[in-house]
Formats: sequence, structure tokens, C-alpha cells
Amino acid sequence: MILARRTSMYMILIALATLFISPFGWLVITALKNTSELAAYPLHWTPDKWQWSNFSRALTQIPYLAYARNSLTIAVIYSVLVTLSSAWAGFGFARLRARGKGFLFGVLLSTMMMPAMITLIPTYIIFAKTGMVDTYWPWVLWGLSGAPYLIFLFRQFFANMPRELEEAAIIDGCGYGRIFWRIFLPQSWPVLATSLVLSFTWTWGDYIAPSLLLSADHTTLAVAVATEYVTPSTGAPINNLLAAGAVMYIIPVLLLFLVLQKGFVTGSSTSGLK
Amino acid sequence: MSTGRLAEASVQSAKPSGTARVTDGRGRGRRPGRGGGMARQQSRVFYLCVAPWVIGFLGLTLYPLGYALWLSLTNSDGISENASFIGLDNYRELLSDPVTRETLVRTGVFVAVVVPLGIIAGLALAVLLNRPIRGRGVFRTLLYLPAVFPPVGAAMAFKMIFDRDAGAANGLLGFADINPVSWLTDPYARYVLMMLTLWACGNAMIISLAGLQDMPKELHEAARLDGASAWQVFRKITIPLLSPVIFFQVITGVIGALQSATPLLLAANPGTSGVTTVPQGDYLYMINVFAQYLAYGRFGYASALLWVLFAVILVITAVIYKLSSGAVFYSFEPEAKK
Repeated sequence: MILARRTSMYMILIALATLFISPFGWLVITALKNTSELAAYPLHWTPDKWQWSNFSRALTQIPYLAYARNSLTIAVIYSVLVTLSSAWAGFGFARLRARGKGFLFGVLLSTMMMPAMITLIPTYIIFAKTGMVDTYWPWVLWGLSGAPYLIFLFRQFFANMPRELEEAAIIDGCGYGRIFWRIFLPQSWPVLATSLVLSFTWTWGDYIAPSLLLSADHTTLAVAVATEYVTPSTGAPINNLLAAGAVMYIIPVLLLFLVLQKGFVTGSSTSGLK
Repeated sequence: MSTGRLAEASVQSAKPSGTARVTDGRGRGRRPGRGGGMARQQSRVFYLCVAPWVIGFLGLTLYPLGYALWLSLTNSDGISENASFIGLDNYRELLSDPVTRETLVRTGVFVAVVVPLGIIAGLALAVLLNRPIRGRGVFRTLLYLPAVFPPVGAAMAFKMIFDRDAGAANGLLGFADINPVSWLTDPYARYVLMMLTLWACGNAMIISLAGLQDMPKELHEAARLDGASAWQVFRKITIPLLSPVIFFQVITGVIGALQSATPLLLAANPGTSGVTTVPQGDYLYMINVFAQYLAYGRFGYASALLWVLFAVILVITAVIYKLSSGAVFYSFEPEAKK
């Protein structure tokens, strides 16, 4: 009886897990087919001969590595800056007393509720007028100004650290800058990792900002993969190369997630809600 | 989780600490940078800490927001200089445009399907994976993976599955001798979009799981001892204790789903003008915004549409707050947490 229940539970879980990863699996299978198999009817479930060369063709069909470099540049610029500035602001909200703090914290929380899209059009115009369209400056500015969600995450973490930590340092003549750099930041590595992964993933995955702000040469992998695998004459998508390109575009994010999975899942769920 | 409660918690942590009071008393210590300057120094450092964010907020959020409001009163196309003030014409036009009403209804249906189903699916998975089973870490990871998928990758994967000729979905239908379906066009496109959105319910799962693990076990045990069935315990104890978490998911889920723009990638050839070829069933409110903005260059009109969406979101959020005030149940006061 109990055994039967356990078995059926595992069956359900295995079925669900298969269902959840099947889109990625199908993408890989599609990436390994040749062109005639893509059009064959009835459907070929697996390729007759696995076309590993599709992956190298996907790299040369479009300037893939250049786009990857653009993506990496933007993601690294943004994630490093936004993590540091969010930690710094989170430190202020968690550890320092000042007039107006409650009000500013309210503003911070309400921006988390605001639809991001509404600022999209004016932001484009502002960046166009200041000559920042087709540069990476917007990501620098966005990074420097921090992200409300990450500020909140750091604040929650820092608020739970014992007060003795900074008291001892202040008695020793340490300024708040040093306290932040030397004591709080090194202690907060789980949140630092979470913040880096989250912000990297956001930028790597973002389609809308780069497609609006960057020209075809400077754009990111997200935009290039979605738009550039087409036959030049007809504009028809080349599905097997597109799938191969998409697989190579997704894998870095999955690897990053799997490597930091433990800290990431606990960090982003529990500290976000408590 | 409500904003009010969080603000309260912050006020609480802002209470003066013992140290500060002692140093205040020694205000005449005459040691530069110390003593009486303590409180002042703290607030100076605080402003230094939040300055980057505040400047960014003013320049990159508040100013664009106001700019969007001004744009919505003009016929700006964003490029030519001679945009002129046209008052409320954009708003009048969008109110009388049947497309606005259709996209609003369609988006409403989308939200009403996707948000509850996502939360329920996430909760069910969380309950399943909260039990002591072997390998649950692996299952958690596998079920969570779609939530970290880059949106473009997810859209491409679904495009391949629901491709008319080479897609796995029609392959499966073939086993049952059902003719191939054109999934990515009307009337099926909307279901594919909903599946794509629900596929990422791992986020809801993780949040619910955290809520489940936070729960005091005693209540459940006591209820079981009193003879309550598993379903009764779930309904009368687990759900009420989880209500703040569910409430948080409803708010963020609705705001997120209203802004959904993934069909842009999924349903049409993405690009500046491809947005107008999105199938009718996927022509959501945001798609109309993008069409007005990208394909027709109507920056002013698109801004008006966005301000209406903003207002709708504010109203919906307020209504959800109001409706949930009796239903959301906080198991602990912020004070009790310390």
C-alpha cells in the first residue's frame, strides 16, 4: 500500500520533470537534424544522422561570437555594478539611522510594483538625445543606480547581522566605508552570488532593451538568435541552425544556475520574503 | 507580504540603538568625527549610501515617467522635432478605439487564466516536493529550470515544439491519427502562449516551498492528533498560513502577466514591423503598445496606452489589497520575529 503510493509519487514526479525539460530536449533534437528531416512527413522523432556540424555552422552563419562578446560585456558590466551599488544602498537601509529613511524605503518598495515598460519610450528618447543609443552607457547607468529588488535582498541580509560587528569596528576608528568593504560585504557572499547570478541572467535574457537601444553590430545574442537565422532571399527561418544557436545561447545560463543552484534558490526565495 | 508590513519593519529597525544614545550624551568629546557627530555622521553616510539609487531613480524612473505623461499629450513620433501638444486627444482616441477594448479583454482573460493556474500549479509542486522523498533536490532543480530559461530561448523552444511540420506536438497527435494543427496561428496560438507562461511555474513553486518550510509544525501535528484529515489540515491551516505568500504571488503575478511581451517573440517574426503580424489571439495590450511604438512610430499614442495600463495596474493592485484584507492572515507580528 505505502510502497504503491511511493511508487506512484515517483512516477508523477518523473513524468513532470520530463515534461518540464522536454522543450529544451526538443530544441537539442531539432538542432541535430538536417534540413530535409525538418520538412519530412510523418515527423522524424530523432535525426537519422546527428548533424553535430549544425553547431559549428550556427557559429559561422551569423557573427555569433561577436554577439556573445557583446552579451557578455553588457551582462558583466551590469551585474558587477548593480550588485555593488545595491549592496551599498542595502547597507544604508539596514544599518544606518537617518531622517527620511522610512520614506525612501517606501519609494523603493513602490518602484518594485511599477510596470517597467512605462518608462521605456521616454528612456529611449533620453538616451537618443544624449548620444547614448548604440553604446553600453545605459547599462552602466542602470547598474550604478542599483535595482530595488536586489537592494531589498541585501537590506534583509544585512539587517540580520549582529550589531557588535560594527560597534567594535567603530571603536577601533573604522569608518562606515571600511566597515562595509571589510566586514559586511565579505560576510554576505550568499547574497552577492544570488545578486550576480540574477542580474547576469536578467541582462543575458533581456530582449527588449538591446533590441531598442543597440544597432545590429552591437546587439546581444538574445536579439541576434531570435532574428538573424533566416534565409537572406526569402526571410524564412533556418530552424535547425536557429535551434543550435539557441541551445548555445541558453547553456551558459543553465550552467551558471546549476553551479550556484543551492545558494541561489535559498537566497532568492527566503530572503526575498521574510 | 504587504508593503505596509515591510515599511513597518523598516521603521522598527530604525529605532535608536543603545550605542547611539550613549555617544549622544558624550557630545562634547571634541574628538573630530566622533561623539556628538555620531547621529549626524550616520545620516550623512546613509545619504551617501542611497545617493546612487536616488539619483538613478530621479533620472531613470521618475523623469521618464513624467516625460511619458507629457508625451502622451503630444503627437510625438520621437524623431522629428515638431511634436505638438494635442491635449487629451490620444486618450480620447484610445478610449474610442475598439482595438483597445479587445486587447484589454484578451489580456484580462490571459491574466485570469495564467495567474491562478500558475499559483495553484506552483503550490501543488511545492507540497509534493516538501515531502521527505529521495532525490527531491534533483526534482526541485529540474522543475525550477524553466524559470531561469532566457525568454528568447523559451520562445524558440516552444516554436520548435509547436511547429506545424517538424514539431513534437503534432508528432504526438499523429499517434492518435489526428491531423496536424497549426499551433502558432489562430485559434491555437493563445493556448501555446498560456502553456509557455505556465511552464515557468517553478518560480511560484520555490516561493511556496519557502513558505511551507517556514511554517510551525506544531499546528499541523495538533490538528492531525485531533483527527483532522490531510485535506482539512491543508485547507484550514496550511492555506491560511500561506496566504501572505499567495497574496505576494497574486500581486506580482498580475503585474507581470499584464506586461507580458513574450508573444512578440513567439508569435511573429520579431522585429520592428513583424509585431503587426502577431496572431489575433495573442494580440495582447502590450503588443498593441509595441505595434503603435515600433511599427507606426506613434510615441505619443503608445505613451498614452502605457499610462492607461499603469492606471489599470494601480486600480487592480488596490482592489486586490482591499479584497484580501480579510483573507490574508499574518501568523506573526513583525515584533515577534526579532
